[in-house]
Amino acid sequence: MDLFDIVFYCFALIAVGSAVVVVFSRNIMYAAFALLFAFFGIAGLYVLLQADFLAVTQILIYIGGILVLMLFGVMLTNRVVDVDIKTGTLQIVPAAILAAVVGGSLSGVFYSTWSTVSGTPSDVATTTPAIGEMLMTSYILPFEIASIILLVALIGAAMIARRKT
Amino acid sequence: MIEQLLSDLSFFKPELTLVVTFLTAILTDLVFRRSPVVVAAVCLAGFALTGIFILGQNGEEALIFGNMLTVDAFAVFFKVLITLSAILVLVFSLSSAELNTPGRSLGEYYSLLVALTLGMILMAGATNLLMIYLAIELSSMTSYILTGYTREAPDSSEASLKYVIYGGLSSGIMLYGISILYGLTGTLDLYQLNQVLATGDINDFTLLIAGVFTMVGFGYKISAVPFHFWTPDVYEGAPITITAFLSVASKAAGFAVFIRFLKVAFVDAGAGEVAGGFWTMLQGFDWPLMVAIVSVLTMTLGNLVALWQDNMKRLLAYSSIAHAGYLLMGVVVMGNEGTAAVLIYFIAYLFMNLGAFYVVMLIANKTGSEDVEDYRGLAARAPFLSLSLSLFLISLTGLPPTVGFIGKLYLFAALLNSGWIWLAVVGGINTVISLYYYVKVFRNMYLREDEEKKGRIEVGAAQLATLVVLLVPIILFFFYFPPIVEFAQASIRIFGTP
Repeated sequence: MDLFDIVFYCFALIAVGSAVVVVFSRNIMYAAFALLFAFFGIAGLYVLLQADFLAVTQILIYIGGILVLMLFGVMLTNRVVDVDIKTGTLQIVPAAILAAVVGGSLSGVFYSTWSTVSGTPSDVATTTPAIGEMLMTSYILPFEIASIILLVALIGAAMIARRKT
Repeated sequence: MIEQLLSDLSFFKPELTLVVTFLTAILTDLVFRRSPVVVAAVCLAGFALTGIFILGQNGEEALIFGNMLTVDAFAVFFKVLITLSAILVLVFSLSSAELNTPGRSLGEYYSLLVALTLGMILMAGATNLLMIYLAIELSSMTSYILTGYTREAPDSSEASLKYVIYGGLSSGIMLYGISILYGLTGTLDLYQLNQVLATGDINDFTLLIAGVFTMVGFGYKISAVPFHFWTPDVYEGAPITITAFLSVASKAAGFAVFIRFLKVAFVDAGAGEVAGGFWTMLQGFDWPLMVAIVSVLTMTLGNLVALWQDNMKRLLAYSSIAHAGYLLMGVVVMGNEGTAAVLIYFIAYLFMNLGAFYVVMLIANKTGSEDVEDYRGLAARAPFLSLSLSLFLISLTGLPPTVGFIGKLYLFAALLNSGWIWLAVVGGINTVISLYYYVKVFRNMYLREDEEKKGRIEVGAAQLATLVVLLVPIILFFFYFPPIVEFAQASIRIFGTP
């Protein structure tokens, strides 16, 4: 186990551990803060995989933007801060069966393809220029359509937030 | 590269027109705040222009924008279908009492309708998993907003929220499936995916899980069991116009992307033309059997639950789930005949389902009710509406003299010719079950009297004209069906496949 592996397991632990807290926490603020660490762990994994652009975007957009927005949303919404989220368990038997089946098959998937994964990624120079160029050439259509999706979401948000006339 | 992109634009005119229409509609809405009819006119003009450009693509074949999108006969067919239903739904919206209440701004409604159409049209041609995902997301996102457009109705917001949750979950599962597929094959392009799969050194089990996860997204779009849970609530809570649009166009787009995914990725591209028009599937999992099981579950559940419904929108929602099951029977065949049958059925489904929802809307405009019980004695109050609804329901059942019969005939013929006898039998039994709940509506209208005598229901000349436009194909294409059959058979050509 070299340094790479140790760092990998550290970030993986941060990501998975915080994700568990997000799911099981009964306090919505704790869940939101745990989400911050989960995103951070993922950003660390991106850095390890030499996806520098993705890592920075992850921090800027998810931690800097979306999460802060979410915390504001939680704090500005009346009576949400102190209220326990309803975490009752319904339909426990079907849920357990479904979770076991899905979990089992996914473990099977990753176990059976584990051997085909090669070790550490090869060194690549910074990825940002290549991503920028591809977004403007071979991926221009998804890039533009994503902007339309955002416009639609913006209109929708404005419409829902608008006061009743 | 740039020259290539610029020349690709000439194949992108319909979509480009929709984008321009969408932006123009938003700007028009800012100027003509008080009269949404202007926005509707802009959108209608945009749809008409889009339709003209789509028809101009007839016979063209190309892969554009770095293999993101394709133009082929199959895509053109679905684009025509989606644009046609968008135009009809726009016309419906103009006379919907539910939408045109004082104080509601309808400008965004019309512009979002254009964005929804754009998403569906992109779904019809997408050949890259990234593009497929974005197109599905664009149409889902717009659908969520439009479902909740009548916010003051309590079930509208509830429907919208449920739609967001189910939609988010299934698109998450789909994205996960796509990511596994990408990890497995190293590509998102369906054609390259096919080449990698054809080499045969792919772990079958992983492929199965990734494929099933990816298809969850398509199953949700066409509301196949077990991804149908959102359908009844959303169809009931959304404005009827949106329900009608989702039940026809959204389903059509879902089928387009599903059939294209199956055929481009999982059919042996090197096998060439096979006798009888059946596709040679690549090694691995038995996809036809899986689709057959989903099809049986979908139509049986749709029809059985529809028996207990007493709200017309819910009844038609379950009926549309059942129809997704019938349409899946055509996919099971995995051949040219089956695909042609699906396309023929979709032409019939467009007119009969939009028609049924339109009549329900016209009745609800006057009576304010969608309850089947309130349809008692309707034949006396609104003879023409009752007659039209009966014809649409007969067509949905699949009985002559309506185009629904032609659709079912070709579906069952394709099944029998390919040896899926048991599936055809299940489909036949389901048709009989469906007759029961369609007849229930018919019986209420014609055979039962309303205790309290209410006045006649009058509809305007424009509404009657729209209704006639929907009724004529229902009858006409029963007696003279070669045009639609030929159109469908010419439209099964998918770019880059045998």
